[in-house]
Amino acid sequence: MAATVLLPSGSNVSVKVHPVVLLSICDAYVRRKEHQDRVIGTLLGVVVDNVIEVKNCYVVPHNESSEQVMVDVIHHKTMFDLHQKVAPHESIVGWFATGSDLYNSDALIQDFYSKESTHPVHMVVDTTLKDNKFSVQAYTSRTLALGDKVLATEFVEIPCDTIFGDIERVGVDLMLTGLNDPSPESKKETANKSFSDEAETLAASMGRLADLVAKASEYVDSVVSGRVSGEPAIGRYLADTLALVPHLTRSDFERLFNESVQDAMMVTFLSDLLRAHVALAERLGTAALPIV
Amino acid sequence: MAAVLEGGAHRAHKELVKTVQLEGQVLLKIIQHCSEALPQLVTGQLLGLDVGQQLEVTDCFAFPTAVADDDVEAESAGANYQLEMMRCLREVNVDNNTVGWYQSANMGTFQTVELIETFINYHENIKKCVCIIYDPQRSARGNLGLKAIRLKESFIELSKEQKLTLKGFQEVKLSWRDIFVELPIKVRNSNLVQALVADLMPAPSATLADVDRLNLSVAPFLERNIQSLVECVDDIVQEQQKVSVYHKSVARQQQLYAAWLQKRRQENTQRLQDNLEALPEEDPTLFKPIPEPSMLDNYLVTNQIATYCDQINIAASEAIQKLFLMEGIQKAGL
Repeated sequence: MAATVLLPSGSNVSVKVHPVVLLSICDAYVRRKEHQDRVIGTLLGVVVDNVIEVKNCYVVPHNESSEQVMVDVIHHKTMFDLHQKVAPHESIVGWFATGSDLYNSDALIQDFYSKESTHPVHMVVDTTLKDNKFSVQAYTSRTLALGDKVLATEFVEIPCDTIFGDIERVGVDLMLTGLNDPSPESKKETANKSFSDEAETLAASMGRLADLVAKASEYVDSVVSGRVSGEPAIGRYLADTLALVPHLTRSDFERLFNESVQDAMMVTFLSDLLRAHVALAERLGTAALPIV
Repeated sequence: MAAVLEGGAHRAHKELVKTVQLEGQVLLKIIQHCSEALPQLVTGQLLGLDVGQQLEVTDCFAFPTAVADDDVEAESAGANYQLEMMRCLREVNVDNNTVGWYQSANMGTFQTVELIETFINYHENIKKCVCIIYDPQRSARGNLGLKAIRLKESFIELSKEQKLTLKGFQEVKLSWRDIFVELPIKVRNSNLVQALVADLMPAPSATLADVDRLNLSVAPFLERNIQSLVECVDDIVQEQQKVSVYHKSVARQQQLYAAWLQKRRQENTQRLQDNLEALPEEDPTLFKPIPEPSMLDNYLVTNQIATYCDQINIAASEAIQKLFLMEGIQKAGL
């Protein structure tokens, strides 16, 4: 609704969420007090152009009944000050609530947060898993005013996405691949997924890359045989990617290969030599390296 | 850093903690905090529960980097921050139990005297504490550089008795390898979070992490490692010199003492002949025993060398694997 009505300012705002925030919200929901149905809290982040990036969050205790809602403002302020000390560039960008729908009291809370930040975003995280789906929605509010009198506050949905930093991806990857092992023996092992299994993760990476290449070649085959109509953009992209593979003559490649292998082996030899020295010094009991 | 008290069971002189279990959100929070703060190294506090021999870490928060000029001011500000944060977290039902701290490390080196001091500080109040070391450079190469470290119990006893000398170590049969104990880490997520993770992110095809991992360039990383290794070898040669100086000075002192003793004996025989009292043959004020140098620095540097060597070995073997794979692909005529 209201597709043609322009928002007063900040239209085309979109929200990007870091997975840390979602996990914290889930954790807070699991830890909530008994009489509460939902958890609310503050979102921290940065605003770049029209994209609001939510980086961190903390829970604020609140009390709501059908008539009124009370939010622990002191707690909110204290936590914000503490967080400012660690990350001074993050500011309040909105607030979140768990649950599947918007409540009446949300307007009041939104009002409070609009005093803290210019365009507070309200994020609803559906922890009840309605429709067997875990949905995260973001809203921004608009006040409907008739002249000077404020009639109501309207929540308008804005696009919300989950983004990963490059490094977070490694952590999330580990959680995913550790959790998605289907075989029953590894179900016992998923809890013991060791972080230091270097060779295994390399093999897994190669496997995934091979899968990807297989998918791409399947797609190309099907386009060539006419089953699927090819898109020129994808075709060009694939051609570009393949052009990036350097074509080396056999002798060049052998030279490069041998040099790299020799470097790696020499370094391994040096480090083993050093280790032998240290072990020798320890045995001799002089705590002195035989290197003079 | 002031540590908050929460009772811990008293155990005999055995390893109290065998494994560490992290919640997914702790993992991501540590990663986010440490990688955003690069190139500065940062620390934070871990909260959780200890369950038998497993330490469960359920939450964490970051420490502000101390920028105050006055040391006393910085310490009290840090303690204040900690107390405030714990109080606020308690209001929202987060486990109010300190189980350790995390810090980011450069190139995986964490073996410093400060770490050991912090451990001992923590140990006075909490027997089961752990330190998690995060290595951002290793994660940039596609693998997660996370380690859980504890000091070995026997080492803590030794340092309390201030007997950090070579003889002291040999008495308890500790070697430099036994200072730190690395604990295996598990990641655990509540069911809700597992649903979130499975739903929000589709089944993994090759991701950016894979691209990082399959990167063929390993030389810069090896270079940096070798540089640090060379510095470490310099350090250890210095330590060695300290030890040899000590040995020499002890030997010299013995010589002097022997010469003086002889002279005393001669004097005494002379005095006996003159029917005077014999002078005592000991003179503690003249020959003070030279204190033996502490082996702690030595051992820490050795530990660092071992870490670097391990890293180099792993990186080099990875590189060789990747190169051979490349060769295979080349031969297949791509």
